[in-house]
Amino acid sequence: MAMSVSTGLPPDAPVIAPDLTMTSLSEQVSARVLSERAPLWWHIGFAVGFMLLTLLIVQMAWLFINGIGVWGVNIPVAWGLAISEYVWWIALASGGTIVSALFFLTRSPWRSATNRIAESMLLSAAPCAGLMPIMHLGRPGLFYWLFPYSTVMGVWPQVRSPLWWDFICLICYILMSVMYYYTGILPDLATVRDLAKSRSKQILYGILALGWRGSVRQWQNQRVVYAIMSAIMAPMVISVHSVVGLDFAGGLTPGWHDTQFPPYFFFGAVISGTALIMMLTIMVRWGYGLRDVLTEYHLNAMAKVMLVGSLLLAYAYVWEAFGPFYGSDVAEKTEFLRRMFGFTASAFWSEKILTVVIPQLLWLPSVRRNQPLLFLISTGIILGMWQERFVFVTSSLEHNYMPSYWGHFFPTFWDWAALAGTIGLFLTMFFLFLRFVPIVSLAEVREIVEEKRSK
Amino acid sequence: MTELCGIVAEFNTPEALTHAAAQLRRSGFRAFEAYTPYPVEGLDRIIRPGRNMLLPLLMFGAAILGAAWGYWIQYWDEALNYPLNVGGRPHNSWPAFMVGTFEFMLLVTVAAGFFGMLAASGLPKLYHPLFEARSFERASRDRFVLCVERADPRFDTDAIRRVFEEHGAQRIEEVRA
Repeated sequence: MAMSVSTGLPPDAPVIAPDLTMTSLSEQVSARVLSERAPLWWHIGFAVGFMLLTLLIVQMAWLFINGIGVWGVNIPVAWGLAISEYVWWIALASGGTIVSALFFLTRSPWRSATNRIAESMLLSAAPCAGLMPIMHLGRPGLFYWLFPYSTVMGVWPQVRSPLWWDFICLICYILMSVMYYYTGILPDLATVRDLAKSRSKQILYGILALGWRGSVRQWQNQRVVYAIMSAIMAPMVISVHSVVGLDFAGGLTPGWHDTQFPPYFFFGAVISGTALIMMLTIMVRWGYGLRDVLTEYHLNAMAKVMLVGSLLLAYAYVWEAFGPFYGSDVAEKTEFLRRMFGFTASAFWSEKILTVVIPQLLWLPSVRRNQPLLFLISTGIILGMWQERFVFVTSSLEHNYMPSYWGHFFPTFWDWAALAGTIGLFLTMFFLFLRFVPIVSLAEVREIVEEKRSK
Repeated sequence: MTELCGIVAEFNTPEALTHAAAQLRRSGFRAFEAYTPYPVEGLDRIIRPGRNMLLPLLMFGAAILGAAWGYWIQYWDEALNYPLNVGGRPHNSWPAFMVGTFEFMLLVTVAAGFFGMLAASGLPKLYHPLFEARSFERASRDRFVLCVERADPRFDTDAIRRVFEEHGAQRIEEVRA
């Protein structure tokens, strides 16, 4: 692993604090899991998340009793907030795999301390994404009809449809992410097991660690499988988000019917996922007092990934504008002009400012070291990406081929309740991860500690 | 009386452990294993030399099976069990089946890797005699532990102790279970 600090980093930003040892690392991180009482901010965050989760349950009950008419979706805009937020959540989740798998393959040293946060985020965001299309089904209880198994009814899903591809991608993605996560966390669970004082925690982590001993054979197996899994997860996540893009590109609606959307969506995942990891990393760093492990080096590196993401997105935006005017389709042109200057204009322009213009501040090293500012920029990116998905989904349906068929989308209270509720589900799950599993990959950071010691 | 399982030594540094392991190997011991908080470089060449291709090959085989399975499900569905004419496209419209094939392939590969890793590592195994050793407590944190098993044909308590002491072992104990 190349540990040189020569890539334009400030000399005061080492990967980990110089006085961090293997002993202090294990004890610091495990103490957060093993302490009897969680800190106050954890209780506040969990309470907020749990209240919103309750709202989600109420919303789902109301929705399932009354049907999706409680949302603002109707003809012509039959895909509203739920589908936009499906795309938004899956992009946030994908960012976790990008940071974790892609940067494992590049052997980036900053990935070691942040990958657990990224993967916990991914596992918390993916169910939020999966819930959205299920809630959007007219008969959600029948979603299992999408599974390709031979039912007694003799009815099969239409496997030529991007919507079915999407379902398969999401299911496979969640299952694979769980296995990837568990492969990585196994040695750390053993650390917690060996540090646990109370009998109940010894038993809990003893079972979770599956009896991991850290023998040479086990490390060999774990490392080789983890490396191959990373090499699989990286193209996997690209395929997941590209297929989400195909859901739209496969439709004939103006504004959607374009081959650029698979990469366009993926670029959005790079920037918004990294932005969320940035926010969570800053939160964990201060809340859990892990400033020795999560240093400015990590924030600096993630800020650069965000900057690259915003440039990629800018490129996609240029093509989004170029396409309608290069082609000869009047409907495409009309739709795009309405998107820019019509009903959705405010969201359209603020999204461009939040995801492309403001992130250009990250060129400045002083901004990359300013944590409050990084937190704000990341929040802005996530809000901007939400607006982008919203404009993309609704504006196209608002301006279909026939002007007599045009209409607008107005979200109802229950639309917003679904958004707030899934944020609650995300927060609840992430705070549970914070409380019950080591939030930094101990085994991998130990290698960095060791490398520094032996130098 | 409990039975002797092996002799365990705790070292402070990975270098001490590596040297002790190399010495054991030179003296002809075969049944010994190291327990470390992270994979120590070079140690696998002493304790488990040679390339172990089992898991990569398993995953490769699983990839082929997974792709075949994924394609077969779709082919069976669209061409054999429930053929449906969609816009005159062929029943076996393979380009449209590629996404499903790809995802099934990756899912089966990762699952094979995950369960293969557990099986090859002898997990889950919630109890191991080594857990009785006091020195093992910190092997998952900041200490490096070496264990010579009773099964070794050259097993000799005094000779092993001497090797351990020579390389600066912090604590030497016998594991019984």
